[in-house]
Amino acid sequence: MTYLGQVWAIVHKDLTIEFRTKERFAAMASFAVLVGLLFHYALDVTVVRPQDIASGVIWMTVIFSALLGVGRTFYLEEEDGAMSGLLHSPIALDALFVGKFIANYILVAMITVLIFVVFAGFFRLNFGGHFVALIGIVSLGAVGLVGILTLFSAVSSRTRMGESLLPVLAFPLLVPVVVYGVDATTRILVGRPLSEVAGNVRMLAAFALLSIMAGVVLFRFVVEE
Amino acid sequence: MSARSIRISGTALGILGLLGVVALHWMVFFWVPTESSMGIVQRIFYVHVPSAWVAFMAFGIVAITGAMYLWLGDDRLDQAGVAAAEGGMVFTTIVLITGPLWGKIAWGTYWTWEPRLTLTLLLWFIYLGYFLVRRSTDNPQQGKKFAAVVGVVGAADIPLIHISVSWLRSLHPDPVVLKPEGPTLDSAMLITLMVGLLTFTLLFLGLFLIRFSAESLDRKLQLREVAGQPQEA
Repeated sequence: MTYLGQVWAIVHKDLTIEFRTKERFAAMASFAVLVGLLFHYALDVTVVRPQDIASGVIWMTVIFSALLGVGRTFYLEEEDGAMSGLLHSPIALDALFVGKFIANYILVAMITVLIFVVFAGFFRLNFGGHFVALIGIVSLGAVGLVGILTLFSAVSSRTRMGESLLPVLAFPLLVPVVVYGVDATTRILVGRPLSEVAGNVRMLAAFALLSIMAGVVLFRFVVEE
Repeated sequence: MSARSIRISGTALGILGLLGVVALHWMVFFWVPTESSMGIVQRIFYVHVPSAWVAFMAFGIVAITGAMYLWLGDDRLDQAGVAAAEGGMVFTTIVLITGPLWGKIAWGTYWTWEPRLTLTLLLWFIYLGYFLVRRSTDNPQQGKKFAAVVGVVGAADIPLIHISVSWLRSLHPDPVVLKPEGPTLDSAMLITLMVGLLTFTLLFLGLFLIRFSAESLDRKLQLREVAGQPQEA
């Protein structure tokens, strides 16, 4: 089986399970919509302009939803003992990480689209002509986010503390995504020229690269018995 | 190096470090001149800066020993990692206490989202994760690997975190020693700072070696308990 074939096998397996059970998607989607609803009551949009706070609110909702869903990446495998099956199969361990990462990324991307649509409605945001740029920024930021969360969800799912350990491990490392992601999104939402966010894009790309490299290199040490 | 010589050199370095701390405090209180613009509160600088240096140096050791532990699997590397992380956490805590004490008088507030402050707080949390993950596994070997992964990813991410938190304008005093045109610090102040850096480094290395040998004794003891042999004193 080629490397890409191995990656695809994992992606296909995870997405099939998710498509049939819809467990993680349902939890993440309802979380995202309910957070939007609670934010509506928590923030007085007659005092602050929605476009000034929207990017922070959107990014934090994306991060928390991702934490919720990605944190359970290895839950099924650990519970059913399927992880040792995977480890005994002739699949490269980094291919296993890449497969898990892609499946998680697709899930987080779907939730992110939902968050944008729902928050646009709740906060009457106008994405204007920069919708593509916004999608680009969030997709790039999500690569770094999902990479770090996937690696550390493999760690946390094998500890007694479980998912509650994931934010402690991952949040300090996610600061670059929040700083550059939120800033770029705010600039685009208030209609600043796209050239202003070039630096942010470079930093988000650097973080994405770091997070994928860390996962590909270190994942084997986390899952090996 | 035998276990005994590690213990002896650790104790010697620790005693030297402690004597240095006494000498440093004498210098800070009675010898070094008062800085003209910040006044007496600036003297905390001689404890703050050396602690920060040790905190980040310790994290460097944690990351390097972590990476080597994952690569070679030698248990001594993990012992060194945990010894450095404990020392690092103590000195990071000192930075986080002395910084706000100074900030309250110099900036008028205990806490501000200043880059170096924020970075140190995040470093503290990375250290916290390092210890939490070690202690929450049933299989100690796994805990060691997890902690090493936290150390390595943390060290790789720290430059990016530093750039991102520094992005907003910094309130922190600019460096006065390490800069292209050479130190602009008064010579007595520079000497005090150098004594501080040397003292804290010695103290850290002493603590590090003592902790390292305690950790290896502890592991030997655990091995004996597992093997069911009678324990020796």
